[in-house]
Amino acid sequence: MSKKLLLAKAHVPGIRTYEVYRHEGGYTSVEKALKMTTDEVVEEVKKSGLRGRGGAGFPTGMKWSFIAKPEGVPRHLVVNADESEPGTFKDRYLMEFIPHLLIEGMIVSSYALGSNVSYIYIRGEYAWITNILEQAIDEAKANGWLGKNIQGSGFDCEIYVQRGGGAYICGEETALIESLEGKRGNPRIKPPFPAVKGVWERPTVVNNVESIAAVVPIINEGGEEYAKIGIGRSTGTKLISACGNINKPGIYEIDMTISVEEFIYSDEYCGGIANGKKLKACIPGGSSVPILPANLLLTTAKGEKRLMNYESLSDGGFATGSMMGSGGFIVLDEDQCIVRNTYTLARFYRHESCGQCSPCREGTGWMEKILQKIETGKGEMSDIDLLWDIQRKIEGNTICPLGDAAAWPVAAAIRHFRDEFEWHVNNPTLCLTENYGLRHYADKIHVPV
Amino acid sequence: MSIKFSEDKIAEVSKIITRYPEGKQKSALLPVLHLAQTTFDGWLDVPVMDYVATLLNIEPIEVYEVASFYSMFNLKPVGKYVFEVCHTGPCMINGSDNITDYIKQKLNIKVGETTADKMFTLKTVECLGACGYAPMMQLGQHYREHLTKEKVDAIIEECRNATIRNN
Repeated sequence: MSKKLLLAKAHVPGIRTYEVYRHEGGYTSVEKALKMTTDEVVEEVKKSGLRGRGGAGFPTGMKWSFIAKPEGVPRHLVVNADESEPGTFKDRYLMEFIPHLLIEGMIVSSYALGSNVSYIYIRGEYAWITNILEQAIDEAKANGWLGKNIQGSGFDCEIYVQRGGGAYICGEETALIESLEGKRGNPRIKPPFPAVKGVWERPTVVNNVESIAAVVPIINEGGEEYAKIGIGRSTGTKLISACGNINKPGIYEIDMTISVEEFIYSDEYCGGIANGKKLKACIPGGSSVPILPANLLLTTAKGEKRLMNYESLSDGGFATGSMMGSGGFIVLDEDQCIVRNTYTLARFYRHESCGQCSPCREGTGWMEKILQKIETGKGEMSDIDLLWDIQRKIEGNTICPLGDAAAWPVAAAIRHFRDEFEWHVNNPTLCLTENYGLRHYADKIHVPV
Repeated sequence: MSIKFSEDKIAEVSKIITRYPEGKQKSALLPVLHLAQTTFDGWLDVPVMDYVATLLNIEPIEVYEVASFYSMFNLKPVGKYVFEVCHTGPCMINGSDNITDYIKQKLNIKVGETTADKMFTLKTVECLGACGYAPMMQLGQHYREHLTKEKVDAIIEECRNATIRNN
């Protein structure tokens, strides 16, 4: 059983309220942090090895240390709660069921960064969670954890919740900043980085909800203790949101030493494939990371067991590996059509492209149309190569990573499931009523004992 | 018709503006647009957007360009209840298309349309972050998850009996 640092108390009745949360040891990290210097707090986070939980995996402590400190210019912490990557619904769980953990983490982080006014930018659709967070903020303030001179430390801090308007791109930090300024979510060209010029041209750190929540156990237990959990550069625990064709979809907190096989088949986690079906493929880190066929998902190309962590999931690069990403774990069973799945994802990225960069604006639309053509039995063989060509021309040629995020799922689907695309082209009528299923993958498909 | 927030809502707007540094009241645009949409029949007509521009002391174009960028803002009239069914990958895998088809048949409208009695609008939307509870839809301020045909029937009935809030 994995050690739980974030969700250990999530099932305590009433944990959403301040009284119960405090009774369960809540806000002790604030007490501890306020007795430390700000540099010491940053140092603990660095020692913990915590990597950004939003998807990019950039070390949080290092990100904090980049923040510029020009004289007389306020700095801001902005929590990225725009969770919109298909397959990802972990931050929602944290905020909905244990909101004070985020508020506590934000107070400590705001202190470390010198942010007297911090924001939570939450996706607009999470309307009821906005109310839950505002309630938690009010309670924290009423109990002296926010406002002026917190716990007599001389540190002032306010937290506000900002609702987005429905735009995946606002999960990209510079688009998020634009949106917080009341503009369209068009990503900015970097540099300058937000740490130098962020919201209202002030130094800004944007961190994912889970990263900020993890600051609480890091301060409570110490960065070194936190770093002992996990393996290699995958320290601490990670929330995985599991969905698709599994028996037990939901949120799981794992330490990053367990294998993918255990995660899918153990009753402690996903509980196996639903309806007694076989595993066909999986997108292990949110819709933008490469899809893997069952054999490469469970075992690396070197024949080692693949583990649920940053290094192991990316082992083999994009040729035979994938990414940890946001922890959005999407499982596809033998009845799922890869072309159809890829088409819905391509449609998603076309819908969410902000339209600034031509390769992304035009390319995502082309990919959607071609995939729809193949899916509806109107595809030609040359369309598959055309798709490959388009995705290559998007990747790396845009201001922000949305272009890459749109290109990768298409590339991986063709890389690993090209014969399924060809089958669609060769069977334009049959593909409308029947799925490709496992076909020749069957011998590569793992059957659990 | 005159478009104006009530005193309470004007006070709420003023309170929202205090969250940002002085002179940065434009940051309040998204929250105020949400408030306006809820207040004025679930959509943003041009006079409503112009009113928001006046409130925040910004140009109308600054409001239009934002309202048209974000998918939650409706620029055309919608029904009293808007069913927003997610149809991205993880929901599709779990049968969201069947749910959409069932709603279409039940309400006798296509995706994007509103029923003649102006009660229901059906939309398909991209990922709402409820992938583990698929299929699902957004209805007003809340999510309706693990949808089945029976649940859809119950939700439509619930709306008709007006026991739940509008958007």
